[in-house]
Amino acid sequence: MNTLREEAPRVGFVINSKTENSTPPKGIKVSNKQPNELNILLLKIAQDQDRQAFVALFNATSSRLKAFAMQCGASNADAEELLQECMLTVWRKAHTFRPEAGSAITWMYTIVRNKRIDMARKNRHETVQSDDLWSEEGTEELETDISKELEGQVARNLLQALPEVQKQVVFKVYFEGKSHSEIANDLDLPLGTIKSRLRLAMKKLDTIVKEQTSWLIIILMMNF
Amino acid sequence: MANYHPYDELLMSFAAGQLPNSLGLMVSCHLEKCSSCRDTVKTYEALGGDILASAEQVDVSEDLLSKTLAKLEEPQSANDRFIGQHNSKEVIASKIPRPLRRFIPSDFDELDWSGMSKNIKEFTLKIDDEQYTTKLFRIKAGKVLPEHTHEGNEFTLVMEGSFSDRTCDYHAGDFILADTSTTHQPRAAMDGDCICLAVMDAPLKMTGMFGRMLNPFLR
Repeated sequence: MNTLREEAPRVGFVINSKTENSTPPKGIKVSNKQPNELNILLLKIAQDQDRQAFVALFNATSSRLKAFAMQCGASNADAEELLQECMLTVWRKAHTFRPEAGSAITWMYTIVRNKRIDMARKNRHETVQSDDLWSEEGTEELETDISKELEGQVARNLLQALPEVQKQVVFKVYFEGKSHSEIANDLDLPLGTIKSRLRLAMKKLDTIVKEQTSWLIIILMMNF
Repeated sequence: MANYHPYDELLMSFAAGQLPNSLGLMVSCHLEKCSSCRDTVKTYEALGGDILASAEQVDVSEDLLSKTLAKLEEPQSANDRFIGQHNSKEVIASKIPRPLRRFIPSDFDELDWSGMSKNIKEFTLKIDDEQYTTKLFRIKAGKVLPEHTHEGNEFTLVMEGSFSDRTCDYHAGDFILADTSTTHQPRAAMDGDCICLAVMDAPLKMTGMFGRMLNPFLR
């Protein structure tokens, strides 16, 4: 185990530098093609203010961002305003995207989440805005833990791992922000069922993340 | 490093951007001190990314791309400028956790604490929230609060100092949920005042003899 501890920082560094030109690290299945393309587009926007990359990113993600906004309850017009706000933020903040910390789509998710909060609360005094809840770039030290550096590289679809009935409850949480009892009412199910479905979903996610971290370490040990 | 954490359902709602204002701020304060909960939130954000990736596609107005492109070089909105001010260096030196800095402009000592007794003072934060009231409580070093229970849920986050309650000790960053089944009698540690952030959906209800007398002043 000593070997691992000594090797780890060096391994982390190698992989980290490879992220820059988007070459997958040897032996690890990286995210499927589409999210990886998003990574490249984002990095181009960040480095060169590349408008073509921006157009490509807009075309690749706009209809999903809009759909997400509408599932959160936005009207057609509000959803398009939110979409535009998100894309403008992507343009301005692309330099804060860190491929080693997470996938491009997760980064875009945090933008649409935050913009939705701020749009709903704009012009209201004494309210809470997304920047109160999530710190801006640079305030958080980037952790050098090997598992964290690898996180952005791993292929995983957490959502796919959940059975339909659990997904249904998770969607209610993400899109509607409903309490457990409200969800129980909506779905006409006992409160206990909702609670246990959510609990099972969270347990499953935790297991997946832990398993992947251990596998990554094993793969790395085999490669070096 | 915190020992008592928000339950995962709260962290998931936080990652979903769906917590009520005051609870969101409280969770955010806890995250500043807790890397394991930060990791959990990251997992739930990745789940959010998956949900976004799997969203059904809908038609977007044809001119939206050109309208957006036209706005790329516009100066940032007023809102973004405001964010810049809020993160100024002066503020960063403050002891107040970052998420609360807009709501607690100066130091804890500068606040206009109001006293219900010598031993406990409170300050109500002006946070727009339909569901919850947010207060700071300051318990004097070594002092014990009257035994009480709660009419609803009360979330507590230790900000400074520590307190103990029967068998547990709570330190800065710890997150505690009390509900109607909790009867407790918190005591601040001897070595300093204990400052807690409390988010509650109903006023405290005192149970002990002394508690009943004190109760009206708490409202």
